[in-house]
Order: sequence, then structure tokens, then C-alpha cells
Amino acid sequence: MNLNIKNLSVIYQNGSHSIQALEEVSIDIGHGKCVALVGESGSGKTTLGKACMGLLPSNASWKGRVNINGQQLENLDESVLNEMRWDKIAMVFQNRAGNLNPVHCIVDQVAEPLIQRGFSSRKQANIKAGKILEQMGVYREYLYRYPHQLSGGQLQRVLLAMAMILDPEIIILDEPTSSLDALSKLFISEIIDQFKSKGKAVLLITHDLEIAAGLADTVHVLYLGRILETLPASDLLLKPLHPYTLALGRSYPTMTTARDLGGIKGDVFYRLVHQHGRHDQDKYRHTHIQVPDSSHKDGHAPPFGCLFQSRCTQAINRCQNENVPLEKIGDHMVRCLRSGIADILSLKGVSKSYGNVPALYPTDLILKCGELFCLIGETGSGKTTLAMILAGMLKQDSGEKTFEGRDMDQWAKQEYQSLARRIGVIYQNPAESISPRFSVFEAVAEPLKIHKKAMSRESIQNGVSRVLARVRLSADPSFLKRYPHELNMGAIQRVCMARALILEPALLVADEPTSSLDPSVQAKVLKLLLDLQIELGLSMFFITHNIGLARKIGDRIGVMLAGRLVEVGPADKILSGPRHPYTQLLINSARGLVKNTFKPGSKEIKPVGCPFVSRCPRHKDLCREKSPEMVDLDYCRVRCHFPLTVDHLYEN
Amino acid sequence: MNVNSTHQISRRLGLILIFGLAALIMTYLSYSLPRLLPGDFVTAMYAGSDVTLTVDQEAELRAYYTEEAGFCNYLLKLVKLDWGYSYAFLTPVSALFLETFPWTLLLLGTAHIISISIGFIAGVEASWRQGTRLEKGIVGGMTLLEGIPEISTGVILLLIFALKLQWFPAAGAETAYAEVSFWVRVLDIGHHLALPLITLVLAYFPGNFLLARNSMMMIIKAPFITTARAKGLPDRRIRYAHAARNALLPLATRFGLRLAFMITGVLVVERIHSYPGLGTLLFNAIQARDLPVIQAVVLISSLMVLAIILALELVYKIIDPRIEYER
Repeated sequence: MNLNIKNLSVIYQNGSHSIQALEEVSIDIGHGKCVALVGESGSGKTTLGKACMGLLPSNASWKGRVNINGQQLENLDESVLNEMRWDKIAMVFQNRAGNLNPVHCIVDQVAEPLIQRGFSSRKQANIKAGKILEQMGVYREYLYRYPHQLSGGQLQRVLLAMAMILDPEIIILDEPTSSLDALSKLFISEIIDQFKSKGKAVLLITHDLEIAAGLADTVHVLYLGRILETLPASDLLLKPLHPYTLALGRSYPTMTTARDLGGIKGDVFYRLVHQHGRHDQDKYRHTHIQVPDSSHKDGHAPPFGCLFQSRCTQAINRCQNENVPLEKIGDHMVRCLRSGIADILSLKGVSKSYGNVPALYPTDLILKCGELFCLIGETGSGKTTLAMILAGMLKQDSGEKTFEGRDMDQWAKQEYQSLARRIGVIYQNPAESISPRFSVFEAVAEPLKIHKKAMSRESIQNGVSRVLARVRLSADPSFLKRYPHELNMGAIQRVCMARALILEPALLVADEPTSSLDPSVQAKVLKLLLDLQIELGLSMFFITHNIGLARKIGDRIGVMLAGRLVEVGPADKILSGPRHPYTQLLINSARGLVKNTFKPGSKEIKPVGCPFVSRCPRHKDLCREKSPEMVDLDYCRVRCHFPLTVDHLYEN
Repeated sequence: MNVNSTHQISRRLGLILIFGLAALIMTYLSYSLPRLLPGDFVTAMYAGSDVTLTVDQEAELRAYYTEEAGFCNYLLKLVKLDWGYSYAFLTPVSALFLETFPWTLLLLGTAHIISISIGFIAGVEASWRQGTRLEKGIVGGMTLLEGIPEISTGVILLLIFALKLQWFPAAGAETAYAEVSFWVRVLDIGHHLALPLITLVLAYFPGNFLLARNSMMMIIKAPFITTARAKGLPDRRIRYAHAARNALLPLATRFGLRLAFMITGVLVVERIHSYPGLGTLLFNAIQARDLPVIQAVVLISSLMVLAIILALELVYKIIDPRIEYER
């Protein structure tokens, strides 16, 4: 007794053009389960809801199977189906003006199904409707009002009450929380929880990722009528595997993420299916995606491959012409040829020591495509060493590193140039990283010449002025002729940045790239880097001491202490609930909450045990004896024997 | 509550005041405008006859048939329900009115009720079958019919059914001087009524049909119809309680306005079929320059417009709950 949808495809016919609203969508909702459907508008969410009710408009044709409580929808007679509607499966329509009949008062509309099915007399039905409305928070004095006399939130409650009147087993909710205040949202989510505990199957269609993550068991991410990812709800914001899910999450403002909102490049409306040619022989049928700037030409090639490729930042050639199956990865189902968000760089057991001074203990780290990773930690903790190893500037003593699927050391040995083109580096000390005998133009243009990316004088000039505009520097001839000593630190730092970006690298490794910029320029430059992240999928690895900055731009944060990564995780998890006492100390210091921590000799580090033990207020004997291992903990990895819990957070 | 009811009373009073003022202006116009007609009763009566009046006789007659009592006097008489005497029939205008009005009411009322109810139901059903060949044909036919004026349908019907086939009488509202039982009389009246009634129904029905269908087409697309369908309601319930109920408003307006312009609307048909109603009375009165009758008929029809507009206000509030709230 539940809702099963198997390979459902819906096409809206419209003359010779038609719109593919859904393609082979399969969804299962069991008893007491809530399944959420998320995706941009036009992804076919509402069509799916209507299809389950058998309410598609007459120009829609559908294929596939919809099974409601063991009955196949496609086999049902319209009159039988009509009996099932509302009684077995009900829908709370998206709250717009006009979902309720303007000329009937609300209690009548709620009670109507009871009366029309002959379940009870008009009087009893009205009493029952009044009770349900009251449960939903619509009070007695509103019962005989008309829809136009109620507020949006009240109408939403009326719609909910209406769906509940026959106590159906399956409930479809279409955007139940859009345009509601926080309290009403909470109320609606409590109602949905009640549905679940009563054993009803709930299909939640929503834009609200927080609600989906909080209420649903499983989330399906729909894009242009196809499921791109199916994932456990808790992973929706914290561990998405498909680039589209990630981009959706980045675009959604939650109460915990402090990071600037991203967005998804480009825009799409729907998928057209059409047919060309006046004569039978050159008729051919294909689908193409309707985008805002499309000028559809007759006879263009039909797109194969991934639907999301034009907006995906990690698309490769294969994505254009190969069919993409839904693939099982862990407990996710992902429709991506690259098996979800790809790793751009991974370190395995990488360590480094200078002479007999260990600078970096064996470290594992994975950077994802299009991710901005911020590394924080006190000076001397090995951040720069790690960054230089990442950038391929420094060779590790042991361990291996892989960049874009190739062994980095091998790559560097064979053709260093092509590797160097893919990684841009901004060094810690901008003034020293540019030759004093190079003018601005020469310094910025040099990588182009070395890598033979642009040969003619004109194309070099164009490249230079474009990249200078990106970092908000002037491309004025008099400025281009200046030498580093004639520039202030902010300008030099931006010249370094331009130099790192001019080859359009895939990864940007930057050691405190904005430390000498004034706040206004820093804001502009960071905004630009985030734009590059959205447009080109630029991955970034930043070292910073400014935790506020890491909070604002970082997708993930890593914390370093004495040559070890001690905590790695999503930025908002780490910053709102640090698990390592050292991370907590760093954050509290940044907030100005800690005083007088400097004690001479207190940073002494013994070869065994936790490096933080001398400063840790919570240390126990075990911490002195044994160095802690990295453990997985609620989407983070922490190197601590006794990690902090949420309760500790509130103690402070 | 108290404030609210005081507010309501003052609003009602304001409405009555405005309508009263409008009625006064109407009365003045219906008093003064017919006077501007060229010629008068005397010229109208003797112009076509062989009798030639001397100047003295003419002046005497004219003095007899002209009341120069002024508007205030006219108003006073009206208040006393004294509508004056008809020059031509030499009977009180009120008697003439009472004689003719029931016929007009019978003809027009029946025509309206038939055309609005059939038109509405046909429109609703047509909209529900939108796109079928039958529906398309009917809509085309109705659009054509809507373009034919009642003067031509009336004449054609008269020619075929009264003169050629002789199924129906060509004139009058009942057989004169017949002493018959009640039911036979009813049948006789119905027999006389048929042709003018059909003419009027043919004139009004297509408009009602098209209006009902068009407003239904808009409403069928409204989200609340999908809601009603999702609720698993019977088809007829959705069609009438949800869709048609909302399509009623424009139709009520049309009904009211048509009714308000009853007398002018019915004039042509009454003349063609020589039906003894208000329209015929007005026509004859204008021909004879029978000033008191013209004044009375014009006044009554204009007051009727006012009354119906007022009634429409009330009807609107009943059929559309949104209206009162928005004021």
C-alpha cells in the first residue's frame, strides 16, 4: 500500500512541437515515508504530482506505470480513478491565488468531498471539516469566510485541511512552504511529520532544500524531467554527489551557511521535442533544450549525452555524446558519467620533512572539482608546505598525489609544462614573487609566452588586459609599463593574481592571496573568484588566517596543527560546531573571546601524543600517550581522542 | 460592530440619495425632451386629414392641448400618481399603461428567462465539450445568428409561419371579444405569443450562449477547477457548482441591462407582430405627438433602468462574495 512510479515519461503535445516534461522517472514511496522532489522550476515536479492523480491535461501523453496502493493507474477506468482521488491519494496544490473557488466559503469547500461521496450529511460534514480546519490552525471564526478574506498562510492551511478530509494514505504536497513565514513553515513541517507517523506516504515537491533535508527520507533531484541524483535527505546539503545538487545547495540560503550564495551558470526552460522537414524523407525527430538565448536553427544536431552538460563545470567530451545511466554510488544514485563530482586532486599519505624537522606528517586530502578549500591554522603548522606540495612546487618525501586522475609526480617528470598550465599559484609574499626587473605587462604576459598560449602581440595584449580587468587593475599603457617598486602592495598582489589566472588554470593554489588588499578591493576580487568558480568550475585552495574570510567563501575548511590536518569538513559544520578543541580555540580567538593564551613554552610538542595536549583544557592521560587518528564524525573528519559534542558548544 | 453598522447605514443612505438624485434628473429629462419633438398633437392630427383649420380654431385647439404648468407642477402631479390624460385616447395615461405593460412583461420576461437559461446551460455544456466538431459548428452558427437583427428574423418568421403556413396569428395578443374558459384563454395567449417570443429568443439566445461559453472557457483553466477534479467530485458538480457558478456574473450583468432597456428593446418586435405592449403604445404616441403618454413611458422606462441597476447591485453581492468586501 504505497505509491510506486516506474519509468514515467510525460510529453505535452503542442502541434508539431512538444515538451518533454518527464523522462523515465522512477520513484517509490513506502508507508510512513516522505520523499522529496527538488529541482529548478520547469524540471517537471508538479507534472509528476499531477500525473499521480491522473490529472494531466488532455494534451499530455504519458508512458510508464503508476501504482497506487497496488492499483495500476493506467488500467483504471476514469470513474474508478475518480473514486480513488482524494480518498486514497490527495494533493495539496501549490498555494496560488485561485486554488480555491472564490465563490464558496472555505468550510463548504473542505467538506465538499464528504458530502458528494455520500459519506455524511451536510451538517456532519461541516462539523468534521471545521474540526480538521481547527487542527490545521484555522479557527472557527474563519470557517464561513471566502478565500479572498484569508491570508496566504491561512489558505495553505485550508488546502492542507482539504487534503486531509478523507484521510488519504498518500499525500502529495506541492510547494507547501513557499511564501510562508518561519513559524508557519515550522507548523507545516510538524504536520508533515504527523503524516509520516500516521503511516502515510508523503511526496513533497519543494524548492526549499532545508525543508526537504529536514523532513524527507529520500530526495530526488529532478532536472529537465530526469532524475539526476537520488540521495538520503541528510546528504542533500552536506554531501551531494552530482554537480547539479551541489550547485542547487550553493544557491540556497540556509540558516547555517555563511558562504556567499552561488548560483548555476546559464539557464534552461524546458525540453522541446520536434520534428523537421516538410517531406517524409527528411523528417526526423529529436529533442533539444530551450534556453533563453537559443536561436533554434533548422536541422541542428540533436543533443545526446548529459542534460546538464551545458551548465556543468566539470563536463568533458564524453558528456556530450554518451548516454548517462543512473549509477549507484554508496547510498546515492547518480546520473553522471564522471560518477558525480570528480576529484581534482588527491593526496595519499603525503609527508615532508626539512632535514630532521618534520613539517608535514602523512596526510590524506581530496580536493573536489569546483570546490573552494580554505586551510587555516597557526603559523608554522605546515600550511605552506602542504600548499606547495599540492601545487607541485615541492616534492613530498613519501606518499602519492593524483591530479585530474593522473599521477602528479609522473606527470611532472614527463611534461611539466602541461601540468603547470593546469595549476595557478599565488605565493605568500607578492613583492618577492615578481622579478623587480619586469614591468607589469611583462610579468603578466610571461606565462602566455612560456606556454606558447598566445603568440601574436595583439593576442597577448588582449589576454593581459582581460585578466587585468578581472582583478580590477587598469590596462592603461602607463600602468603596464610600471615596475614592481612603483606599485603598492595591493596592486602587486593583484598582479600576482593576474599572473596565476592568465592561463585559465583548473586549480588555483593561493597562500594568503588577499592579505595585503584593502577590504573594498578584497571584496571585489573574491567576488570575482567566486564567479569564476561558478562559470568555469575553478577549484581553489586558499591558505588564510582570516577565519571570517574562510567562513564567507569556503566550501570546506581544513585545520592544521603542527604538521597535521586535525579537522576537515564543510565550512558551516566546522565553524558552527567545531569538534577539535584547537579549532574551537582558533574560532574563539578570531571572535575575540579568548584572552591571555600565550604562555612561554606552552607550545612545546612532544614526539608522542596529541600535539595540542599542552594547551588543551580537556586533555586526559590517553592524549599524552597516543597520537589520535583521523575519525569520521558527522560529515567531518577529526583527529581527536575526545571530540567536542554539540552540548559543549552550548556550554560556552 | 457599532461603528461598522453606522458606517453601513450611512453608506446605504448615500446610495439612496444618489439614486434619488438620478431619478429626479431622469424625470426632468423625460419631461423636457419629448417637448423638443418637432410638431405637436394638433399638427399631427390634422396634417394628414382633409379638414383645414382656421387660424382661430388652430390656436384654440393648441391652447386646449398644451399644458404649460411647468416642471414643478408636473412633479407634484406625479407624486399624487396623476400621470395625466392621453390626448389621443382621452383616457388616463395610467389606464393605458396598465393595459399594455402586462403584455410587454409577459413577452419580454418569458423571452429573457428562456434565452438566459437555455443559453447558459448550452454555453456551459458547449465549453465542456470544447474542440469537438459539434461544438465548433454550434459556436459558428450562434455567431452568425448573433449578427442577424431581430427585425429580419421577425419579418421572416411572420412571412413563413403566419402568412404562408398560417400556423400562428399575425397580430394581437389574444383573440378579441372571445368569451372562453381560463385554460383556453391561456392557450390562445400562448398561441399569439409564440411568434414574437421566438423572434426575441432568437435575438437574445446567441449572445447569452456565447457569453456563457466564453466566460466558462476562462474559468475552466482556473486552478480551482483542477482542485475540484483532484477532489474526485462528480463531473456535473464540477461543471455547475464550481465552474458555471463563477461564469454567472457576466451573465447577470447582461440580463439586468437587457431587462432595463426593455421598452426600446421590444419596440421593433412589438411593431412587427402588432403586439399591444408598451412598445406599440410608445410608437403610436410618438406618431400622434401624444405628449403625456410619451412623457410617462419615457419616465417609466428610465426609472426602470435605475431600479434594475440597484437590484443588480444586490444580486452581485449574493452571487459574488468578493464584491462587498472590496468596497
